[in-house]
Amino acid sequence: MTASAATAEGAGGRDPIVSLSRVNKWFGDFHAIKGISLQVNQGERVVICGPSGSGKSTLIRCINGLERHQEGDLTVNGTRLDGKSASLNEVRRKVGMVFQHFNLFPHMTVLKNLTVGPTWILGRPREEAKETALAYLRQVRIEDQAYKYPAQLSGGQQQRVAIARALCMKPEVMLFDEPTSALDPEMVKEVLNTMIELAGTGMTMICVTHEMGFAREVADRVVFMDEGKIAEEAVPSEFFSAPKSGRAKAFLDQILVH
Amino acid sequence: MNYAFSFVYIVENLPVLFDGFMVTVRVSVISIAIASLIGIAGAAVRLLKVPVLSQVVGAYVHFIRSTPLLPQIFFIFYGLASVGLPISSFWAGVFALSLWGGAYNVENVRGGFLSISKGLHEAADSLAFGPLHYLWLVAVPLGVRVSLPSMLNTSVSVLKNSAYLQAIGLAELTFVAMDKVSLEFRTLEMFAAIGVMYLVLVLALSIAVRRLENVLQKPFRP
Ligand SMILES: Nc1ncnc2c1ncn2[C@@H]1O[C@H](COP(=O)(O)OP(=O)(O)O)[C@@H](O)[C@H]1O
Ligand SMILES: [Mg+2]
Repeated sequence: MTASAATAEGAGGRDPIVSLSRVNKWFGDFHAIKGISLQVNQGERVVICGPSGSGKSTLIRCINGLERHQEGDLTVNGTRLDGKSASLNEVRRKVGMVFQHFNLFPHMTVLKNLTVGPTWILGRPREEAKETALAYLRQVRIEDQAYKYPAQLSGGQQQRVAIARALCMKPEVMLFDEPTSALDPEMVKEVLNTMIELAGTGMTMICVTHEMGFAREVADRVVFMDEGKIAEEAVPSEFFSAPKSGRAKAFLDQILVH
Repeated sequence: MNYAFSFVYIVENLPVLFDGFMVTVRVSVISIAIASLIGIAGAAVRLLKVPVLSQVVGAYVHFIRSTPLLPQIFFIFYGLASVGLPISSFWAGVFALSLWGGAYNVENVRGGFLSISKGLHEAADSLAFGPLHYLWLVAVPLGVRVSLPSMLNTSVSVLKNSAYLQAIGLAELTFVAMDKVSLEFRTLEMFAAIGVMYLVLVLALSIAVRRLENVLQKPFRP
């Protein structure tokens, strides 16, 4: 554990922006996250992969408090998630999240989806929020859809709106939970391209994904999870060419066959 | 028995029926509006799990739904009078019907809130929405849309149940008809006439809600 944490700091040597220390999470009797420690530095891109049910979603959902961990320390951008609503609120303002099923507000236009957070939560003036929103829509290449409703967009477009919506909050960290798993194959690429471009801006990203091409191209580190633990942590080239654990090998064989 | 149905009799009595009709419209419209607000507010209190208030709302809903409307009307009209707060039969009627419809609407709107996907709540959470932001920006606009058909049912019941208010002497449509029947025994004419009038009101209410639904559903259509 300590050895892998040391290699991770090669990315910059600054204080980690996300830091988990022996985090445990149970659902009732079920031990979903088993003493995980993980540090992510500013600007780092971490890909989390592993078999279904290994706790990937639970882990990243703990980072913005969608799930509450019961043991261990979890600190984001200097704020420790201590179960109080003030720290939770602080962390959520700094962490953007993109979901598998987009979760856009269906009764708001694309533009409204993007401005509702900045205006209502961050107290930004309406005009400024709108300009920021349009800039991000341009960045994800769908500014022409600003006045449509989510149901009028394709899955790939909706997911890019969801990414833009999170970015409008000016987060320090972006979390992605299988952002392309619900998409038709022809739309996966447009969303991955958006994510690759985002990585290019220096955004700190933690992505749960099985898109190994994406991991190879942008990840600084791959975290392989199995049964609620981090089974392996390595730079992509190492992870893909010489996985250490048998579980990782089996997992990669299965993924790469597809 | 040959009973000659007389349309002329109905026409002759239209002015007095119209007075009753207007009382029914007024008492129903006001009660439906208040009942809708009670429904949204009560469901909000339950959604936010406001301590104490949430239990109070739960008990209120349970109480209203487990007792017949007529005793509720008597309770309010005579009960208030007996504690020195006399109230007109009109406002007692509004009070009773609003509380009655409100209890059903709390459940209707709550159903609408529960139909909102967990994912949307998580999206709101991830944008640092507080509970009131979620309520106002997500739950109310989406949940009320979903509960409109069941709120329409409740509203139609409020309208029909306004006929019970004759029991506390409110001169609404049924009261007027009963009054006439007791004097002139033109039973069929009177009840046919008010039957048609209630039908017209229910129809108008349904059309109004359908319109509202159409306006609100627009964004959802691809
Ligand atoms: N809300 C929950 N209640 C109970 N068990 C859960 C809940 N969420 C996830 N789990 C369980 O925790 C384990 C890890 O789930 P998850 O983090 O979703 O895995 P992954 O994202 O890697 O597929 C699974 O066994 C799952 O059934
Ligand atoms: Mg998952």
